[in-house]
Amino acid sequence: MSSTTADCGCPPAAPVETYTAKDFRSTLKPIWCPGCGDYGVVTGLYRALASIGRPPHEIAFVSGIGCSSRIPGYTTAYGFNTVHGRALPIAQGIKMANPDLLVLVAGGDGDGFSIGGGHVPHAIRRNLDLTYIVMDNHIYGLTKGQLSPTTPRGAKTSTSSYGSIEEPVNPLLYVLAYGCGFVAQAIPSDMDGMTKVIEEAIRYPGFSFVNIQSPCVTFGDPEDQAKVQKAKMKKLSDLGHDPANRLRAMELAQTYGTDLYTGVFYRNPNPPQTYDHYIRERQEALRPKQAAA
Amino acid sequence: MSHPTNVRPRPFLEPAYCKGCLRCVEACPKHCITPGSTLNPATGYTPVELHLDHCNGCALCVQACPEPFGLRLDEGISHLEGEFRLEDPTKLFGKKCVHITEAPIEPDAEFPLPACEPLVLKGAYASAIGALFAGCRHVFGYPITPSTEGAELMAKMLPKLGGSFVQAVSEVAAVNMMYGAGGAGVPAMTFTSSPGFSLMLEGVSYMIGAEVPGVFVNIMRGGPGLGNIAPEQADIKLACRGLGHGNTHAPVLAPSTPQEMLDLTMRAFELAFRYRTPVVVLGDGYLGQMTGAVKLPPAARRMARPDWAVWGDRPHRHNLISSIHLSEPDLEAHNEHLGRKYAAITKREQRADLYRCDDAEVLLVACNTPARMAKGAVEQARARGIKAGLFRPITLWPFPIDALAPLLTRAGQIIVVEASAGQLEDELRLALSHAGRVPPPIAHVRRQGGVLPQQSEILAKIEETQEAFA
Ligand SMILES: Cc1ncc(C[n+]2csc(CCOP(=O)(O)OP(=O)(O)O)c2C)c(N)n1
Ligand code: SF4
Ligand code: SF4
Ligand code: SF4
Repeated sequence: MSSTTADCGCPPAAPVETYTAKDFRSTLKPIWCPGCGDYGVVTGLYRALASIGRPPHEIAFVSGIGCSSRIPGYTTAYGFNTVHGRALPIAQGIKMANPDLLVLVAGGDGDGFSIGGGHVPHAIRRNLDLTYIVMDNHIYGLTKGQLSPTTPRGAKTSTSSYGSIEEPVNPLLYVLAYGCGFVAQAIPSDMDGMTKVIEEAIRYPGFSFVNIQSPCVTFGDPEDQAKVQKAKMKKLSDLGHDPANRLRAMELAQTYGTDLYTGVFYRNPNPPQTYDHYIRERQEALRPKQAAA
Repeated sequence: MSHPTNVRPRPFLEPAYCKGCLRCVEACPKHCITPGSTLNPATGYTPVELHLDHCNGCALCVQACPEPFGLRLDEGISHLEGEFRLEDPTKLFGKKCVHITEAPIEPDAEFPLPACEPLVLKGAYASAIGALFAGCRHVFGYPITPSTEGAELMAKMLPKLGGSFVQAVSEVAAVNMMYGAGGAGVPAMTFTSSPGFSLMLEGVSYMIGAEVPGVFVNIMRGGPGLGNIAPEQADIKLACRGLGHGNTHAPVLAPSTPQEMLDLTMRAFELAFRYRTPVVVLGDGYLGQMTGAVKLPPAARRMARPDWAVWGDRPHRHNLISSIHLSEPDLEAHNEHLGRKYAAITKREQRADLYRCDDAEVLLVACNTPARMAKGAVEQARARGIKAGLFRPITLWPFPIDALAPLLTRAGQIIVVEASAGQLEDELRLALSHAGRVPPPIAHVRRQGGVLPQQSEILAKIEETQEAFA
């Protein structure tokens, strides 16, 4: 119960208690398939939240619809399992209503880059202080194995019977191109690395994005599973990549789909003011008037 | 050709890129441009003509021209374009490729199929196969349980049949792809389920307004919101009364067996093209997944390319698909036109299945899967000496009131059996009211949330109402 100061960029700056990963685990038992990458993601998230130190009741966790979108229910934060593809607008609504909340958003690649793809650029440019975690398994899990926007070209799925003839989306380049201030990638089999980037993403003051390549053991490509990923993974920190270098980040992000880089691609060294900052500013400005009235 | 620097360049016209909009004619203060008189055979448009005797090189015409390569300034560096000079596109890309065919409009065609034993098929597959036999080769969809099987089968079949299945990025994209393909005059369809259908309604309203055919197979699941994936009938209101904004209606067909999933999907395409309208095939989650014996049709069809289609051949030139009518009287007239179409559909296309209704004193009204339970209850009631019958609407819109009305002279009781909070009953009551009929007492058996009415509770309701009479 030692007192530390929250340095996640969010008020209140009052002393907070220390938490352990267990404090964020709900009593609901996940119903993901045994071996699903999402188990790792939720574990990493518990740990990251423990080191952030905000109590569960100050966290709102918003998701869309999909296997991965079940994740809020497995935490003790306030959960909001919303509409397929609409987690980001809903999260923005929450954050605007109560800018003091720590708002996390999560979902699948289909949720985020297919049906919800149109919301991503606008969430980025509006720059509310949200953390968006995509569990990218390159497939539609919940609906049992259809093409997803990140499915590689040529892959056979139940709706691309003869191999996909579509070019996949590159989530990293997508968000970088729209000016996202924090962009990282992780895999659940590198638990420490993943926990660290989630934590950093939450601490970044502004919209942050983490793409977690979380394998689907049931419908995913057998070549895209934990073991293969772990062998393939290259840490950006080992490359000596400077996360302040946006152009280099974009260059590295180009390799999405071939190489598997993990760590922080880009962190804006001079984060611009967030939308919620301006909201708070306006609210502050009104306060004395209200008191006088 | 180069110009002395003190002379402003003169405009020149690339006739192949002039669409004859005449904006330049109005723009020219010196009246140098006149509407053309000769049709350009390559484009089918009549390009303007330039008479530059009084031209002072103001370039207002070039600014007015909406075509990037229609009217341009003669070679040399123009004062408008600064250092940048447009290249002649023919130099960059070769001659613009314009294929205009005199394709005759091919009539509808039927291709007899060899007789074969009935297949045992899932409802969703039966519907997909029906669509293929109806000539549908363009399917756009977004996965959603419990309808995805239809799309998955199409993804397998269509590439082999020269068609396309596209998994759109969302239902919004899917419906608009249907709007496009339907506007080109080809039979297009989608498979979806309740939340996806909600998302498509904007597009459906546009398609109704622009009179574009398309078939929507909506395998209803539990709602509202994400609800669950179990069968419900809670989109009846949406399909019959809520097809997006505006004065919209479209035929709504309600199959109750895998066989009907096939037959009614085929029929949906017929109606869609006969009336230039979207058509909704409303199944329930149980029906999509249920397997049953399905007889294949005697013939496959090919839908003719309609004369209103937007298609790149001479017979279809000047067609425009649009739902915009900016002038109020125009839009009113268009709505009246749609209203006449709805009236024609209401008069001609009502369908119902009557089971032991002739002498029925208790009339069950049910559709989709609940109609199967209701049928069982009718049998049981009959065995107990109660004259029960089942009136099963096959078209929910238009409601088959013409077939129902004569039965009401004998029937002293109606029982509506449905998996919704009364949406079918509302359609029934509305139809009765419009027909000026005072109905007998209406009781109901309703289940919701994915629970279906059980035969035993229907029977109990029948007996209860009969006791009240005794
Ligand atoms: C409007 C709408 N359309 C379709 C669906 C069906 N649906 C639920 S989740 C999902 C996609 C799941 O894939 P993804 O987002 O990648 O998450 P995963 O299950 O792989 O974690 C779809 C199509 C829905 N719930 N709502
Ligand atoms: S289907 Fe795939 S994504 Fe969904 S729980 Fe199973 S393994 Fe995970
Ligand atoms: S340059 Fe000016 S005067 Fe000449 S044709 Fe164009 S608008 Fe007319
Ligand atoms: S404005 Fe251009 S396209 Fe239109 S008539 Fe004139 S030259 Fe042709």
